[in-house]
Amino acid sequence: MSTAYFMGVDLGSTTAKAVVLDDQAKVLSAHIVQMGAVSRRGMEQAVESALASAGIAQKDINYTIGTGYGRRLVPEVGRTFTEITCHARGVAALFPEANLVIDIGGQDSKVIALDEQGLVDNFAMNDRCASGTGRFYEVLARALECDISEVGALAMKGTKDLEVSTMCATFAETEIISLLAEGADPADVAASVHRAIAHRALGLVAMVGKRDGIIMTGGVAKNPAAVHFLEAALKQKMQVPDDPQIMGAYGAALLALEISSGRQITQYDPEKVQALESKVEATFNPKNRSIPDCISCQK
Amino acid sequence: MGHDTKNALQILKSVANNPQSYIANWKEKNSLPVIGIFPMNFPVEIIAATGALPVIIQDSKEPISEGNSLLAEFYCGYTRSIADQAAKGMLDIFDAFMNADHCIQLLGSVDVVRELLPDKPVYFEHLIAAMDDSWTKTQVQEKIEAFIIEAERVTGQPISDEALLACIQSNNKNRQLLRNIFAARRNGDAQFSPAELQAMIVSSMIMDKNEHSALLESVLADAVAKPRDQRIRLHLSGHFCHAPRVELFELLEDCGAVIVDDDLYTGARYISTDTKESMPPRMALADWYFARNETIPCPTRVQKTVDWDSYLLNALDNSGAEGVIVVMAKFCEAHMFYYPELRKTLNTHNIPHLLIETEHEGMPVETIRTRVEAMIERIRRKSPTRQITQESA
Repeated sequence: MSTAYFMGVDLGSTTAKAVVLDDQAKVLSAHIVQMGAVSRRGMEQAVESALASAGIAQKDINYTIGTGYGRRLVPEVGRTFTEITCHARGVAALFPEANLVIDIGGQDSKVIALDEQGLVDNFAMNDRCASGTGRFYEVLARALECDISEVGALAMKGTKDLEVSTMCATFAETEIISLLAEGADPADVAASVHRAIAHRALGLVAMVGKRDGIIMTGGVAKNPAAVHFLEAALKQKMQVPDDPQIMGAYGAALLALEISSGRQITQYDPEKVQALESKVEATFNPKNRSIPDCISCQK
Repeated sequence: MGHDTKNALQILKSVANNPQSYIANWKEKNSLPVIGIFPMNFPVEIIAATGALPVIIQDSKEPISEGNSLLAEFYCGYTRSIADQAAKGMLDIFDAFMNADHCIQLLGSVDVVRELLPDKPVYFEHLIAAMDDSWTKTQVQEKIEAFIIEAERVTGQPISDEALLACIQSNNKNRQLLRNIFAARRNGDAQFSPAELQAMIVSSMIMDKNEHSALLESVLADAVAKPRDQRIRLHLSGHFCHAPRVELFELLEDCGAVIVDDDLYTGARYISTDTKESMPPRMALADWYFARNETIPCPTRVQKTVDWDSYLLNALDNSGAEGVIVVMAKFCEAHMFYYPELRKTLNTHNIPHLLIETEHEGMPVETIRTRVEAMIERIRRKSPTRQITQESA
């Protein structure tokens, strides 16, 4: 029976994630709430669900670390870390051989180089442009009139490499519509956009330097086509955690434990990780992944 | 901070934020011309020696509208802002303009001023950028003479060596006062915020130097040293021609950093070098141009004996800065060309650094915040003495 509990909360641009660890760094629960936009209620729901799954109350949490764009909104937060540090920490714990993290979230993408200790060595991120982020895939799905969860499977069926020159998330929609108007197969359009986005990500990778041991995290890593085309662009296989979206919150929870206890968690323990994976899968309720009625439908 | 310090600082901030108001008041009071100076190397003592007020033209915070039709969007924000100010009548207050620097974008904006304000003299002499050539020194001396002749012509006032020397002395005194404040910051005194320091420099670029020095003395007389705290120490580097937005400074400090040194034009670079009072004044002004590049090398100058990266490494040693924030004005060609060299040096010496590209309009605050905080976390987590425990977080 654990005597101390630690929480990591990642409030991103489109989802809120919460992970609870015990004092042995074992994952007790992890929860994701799809919000569509930064939402205090969505974050509260992720926290409440994670606490409920772990069978503990907020008062039982010894230390909480917030991360993501909304990190300062996290209640009871001990301190905050950027998602760069947290994704690096989470990945380093699960993949000791990792040297590079490609994290593509709802509104930004980051490439993080890790040193031998798993600490951030260098990083690059998009700043003014949503190209290549989750938002871009949402634009694609909307233009193709399909659900965001279907766009990857559709892209995997594409066989032609069509010219997609616009990398602006706003203007891309008109280019996609134009291709469809010319009679292009939606699968080819989806594949071509994925391919173009992958090359955009390659630019970020080049900024910190490509290296072996690449792990992809963030919500976009759930899209098999995004992973496939990025691997093709990199000419290199990547590893993807079973739930890549939770990696920032997991890293934050690890940091909460480490800062609170003053000890570094260095041992890779598959059992602890398994808990993370299974719990996350169990909480992946289609209801809480829709936009934006996920919150109202949970009430 | 005492009452006098606050008042004096408030005046300096007010001038920095609203140069037009100060210039209008100065003109009304003195009935003398005001000459607009383009950055970076024009020796303002020449203008001051005529009795006129030299004012280094500042970037306006106003969004660029009319200026967009005058200069292409790939001109830097500062030069487009000058074009915009010229189009909106904001430069009408100046009686003439002088420029000594051959930046192609700056020359574009000078041309706009010349075109839109045809009745105002606009004078350009190029202070040669190749510092080592055998003919450079002679040519710079000739250019200084040409500036003096033009300043006499425009203002109708002859320039004596005595008047030049007096202006050199007042500028040196002003620079020395400012350098004392910057040296105190470098040595661990955090009594003034980066925004306050920038206001001191920018107001010096606008105001009569004696008046400015008097205010500075008032600020210093009442100032109380404030020991540096445990925040991560950063050096700000770049921005050769104009002031970065103070919002950026505030964001950096909000992220848990303290700026301990810089090489910004509106910072240490502007006050780096005095003009020698022991030399004949005209020669001393030419000498200042060369000496300045040796004190803080500028990537727009070519000099084999000095380079910016070596200077930067030395500056980091002196201030104890743990990282470098490179602030690059978008489309600044000189900076863009030099930056890979700088990055290579910083990487070789394992110095954390972050490039922030600035634009005239819009600052992606949250993404910059994330990048700066990530850099600070990287420095903290890699330094055993910087590890934060729950108790100290």
